[in-house]
Amino acid sequence: MSSTPIRIVLADDHPLTRSGIAEFLRREKTLELLGEAEDGLRAWQLIQDLRPDVALLDIRMPGLDGVIVAQKVKDAGLPTATIMLTSYDAQQYVMASLRAGARGFVLKTVTPKELTSAIATVARGGLYLDPEVASVMGEREFDPEQLSAREREVLVLAAKGLSSKEVAGKLFISERTVQTHLASIYDKLGSKNKTEALLLALKYGVVTLEELLED
Amino acid sequence: MEAAVSSYVQDLAESISYRIDGDIRLWNFPSKLFLSAARYRIFSWGPSIPGWVAYIDGEGKIITSSPGAASIAAIWQEALPIGSAVRVRDKEGNEYTMAICPVAQGRGYVVAAVSWNQLLGGLVQVGRLWPVLIVLMSTGSFWAIRLLWRRLISPLKGLAAEIDDLRVGKDIPHTVDPHAVKEIESVHNALTRFARAAAERDNLRRYYVRDIVRVQETERLEMSREIHDGPLQDITALLQHLHMCLEEGEDTRERIMKTERLAKTVVRELRGLCDELAPPWVDLGVSDAMTELAERLSQNYDIRVSAEIDKSFDLGSEQTLSLLRIFQEAVSNAVRHGGAAEVHAHMFTEGAYIVLEIQDNGRGFDSGVDHEVLRLEGHRGLANMTERMSLIGGSLEVYSTAGEGTCIRCILGRETLPETAAPKPENL
Repeated sequence: MSSTPIRIVLADDHPLTRSGIAEFLRREKTLELLGEAEDGLRAWQLIQDLRPDVALLDIRMPGLDGVIVAQKVKDAGLPTATIMLTSYDAQQYVMASLRAGARGFVLKTVTPKELTSAIATVARGGLYLDPEVASVMGEREFDPEQLSAREREVLVLAAKGLSSKEVAGKLFISERTVQTHLASIYDKLGSKNKTEALLLALKYGVVTLEELLED
Repeated sequence: MEAAVSSYVQDLAESISYRIDGDIRLWNFPSKLFLSAARYRIFSWGPSIPGWVAYIDGEGKIITSSPGAASIAAIWQEALPIGSAVRVRDKEGNEYTMAICPVAQGRGYVVAAVSWNQLLGGLVQVGRLWPVLIVLMSTGSFWAIRLLWRRLISPLKGLAAEIDDLRVGKDIPHTVDPHAVKEIESVHNALTRFARAAAERDNLRRYYVRDIVRVQETERLEMSREIHDGPLQDITALLQHLHMCLEEGEDTRERIMKTERLAKTVVRELRGLCDELAPPWVDLGVSDAMTELAERLSQNYDIRVSAEIDKSFDLGSEQTLSLLRIFQEAVSNAVRHGGAAEVHAHMFTEGAYIVLEIQDNGRGFDSGVDHEVLRLEGHRGLANMTERMSLIGGSLEVYSTAGEGTCIRCILGRETLPETAAPKPENL
């Protein structure tokens, strides 16, 4: 991995931001910037043509937004790992990106070092979430209590975006039971809500990203 | 008139005497025999105007006459001129114009007379009544016109003037003229109702605009304060650090690291400000957007806030934004007024409607509270929520009992939703 640089495509509609990031990517020896796109359609074209290892995608772009491009990459089964590079810090964007198959979520205020690390992580097949947006990700190590099999099932379904009612329907249990399970999950993971619970579960390896992406 | 009557009686007398004269001379019969013939029908019918004719002999005895000639004796006087009409008066004072014509050299006479009393009687009597009638009629017309004026024309003119001068939305018409007819009164009442409604509507609009301006100004003030206290201060500090870097040269590295941290703070603050002004996560769709908001509110207020919304709900971005704002306001109210520790929102369908129900466990309030009173006191919360719902074609219901929390139901007709809802990436 260290011998061949990681090949990258960068998409961002803001020229200043794009040139700043591009400059850094070019300077970094371990990375190779293959191409730049100023909108989602061009980004999708570049990814198809160049087949990079990693695509850095802005979320808000004209044409296709970054999440849709990530979804297309996933659906097409391309070998490219996608990272959202955005100024949105909403956790639901993280969730939406993960569900669309993204491997990383990084805010634009990230340091070059962190960005390098993020790119390296996803290129290896890992998951990288900016500690600032997924604040729970940056917290000190914590050994979570083991989730029961049922709880894991509930958590995975909830993470896929299903409501309690839908989860209840899928597992043939009552909505109240689903809520009891969720409360127990929050408790065990030390989270305040569903999104946090899922991020923590991903962090601690309780749930894998692959499980989340299964249909 | 007099002349006409004189010549009429004279002609009558002359023509009859001429005829009798001729007949006597031609036939030499006793006049009684032929007087009943058709040509003397005048004696049985009488003249065509009130009066009579008579044929008398030399001694003044009536041989034949038309009806009414009996009074001849009463008016017969000596020294009546023969052959010309005269006006005579009988003992009772009745006046006649009378003419006498001799027949057969004075062996008989034809007398024709017209009674002035009978001729003019009706007319004279009517003539005497005439002034009375005129006076009565003028008085009548005067009163009729006066009545018409007072009850119809004058109130109508007043009404017309009032309509001309009426400033719609400002004036209320005066009370109606008490003499006016009923119809004008009802027109006036309708005008009053219309003017009242217009005035009320204008008032409402004025209040509404005032409220909007007030809210706008408050928001601007808050925003300006936030920018001033946040990013502005931070960027100022950032500048100072940069200046120091330029001057120092020694431990520049640490200085730059501080500067970097500051810059990050500015970005975070500005991002927060943007989120508050217009949350970008609206375009994630109602489910994710509400979840995001719930988690943020939960963090801000340090209470439990949750949103449970099926992914299948696909609302337009306008509807989603409105529901987000209402949720935000509801949570804020629940915390500030109700001291709630938990707020839960969930969405479900109910027949042809989509319902978002927001339930808190706060103190609640008496549902009978008048929204208008609250609004006037500056609490626009509930009114704002209601208006937001009506703007997207829905309605809002509030259920609350003191001590038992508050439930807010946002109701949207499914048919009011746009055909192609918010841009929402598939399979998210």
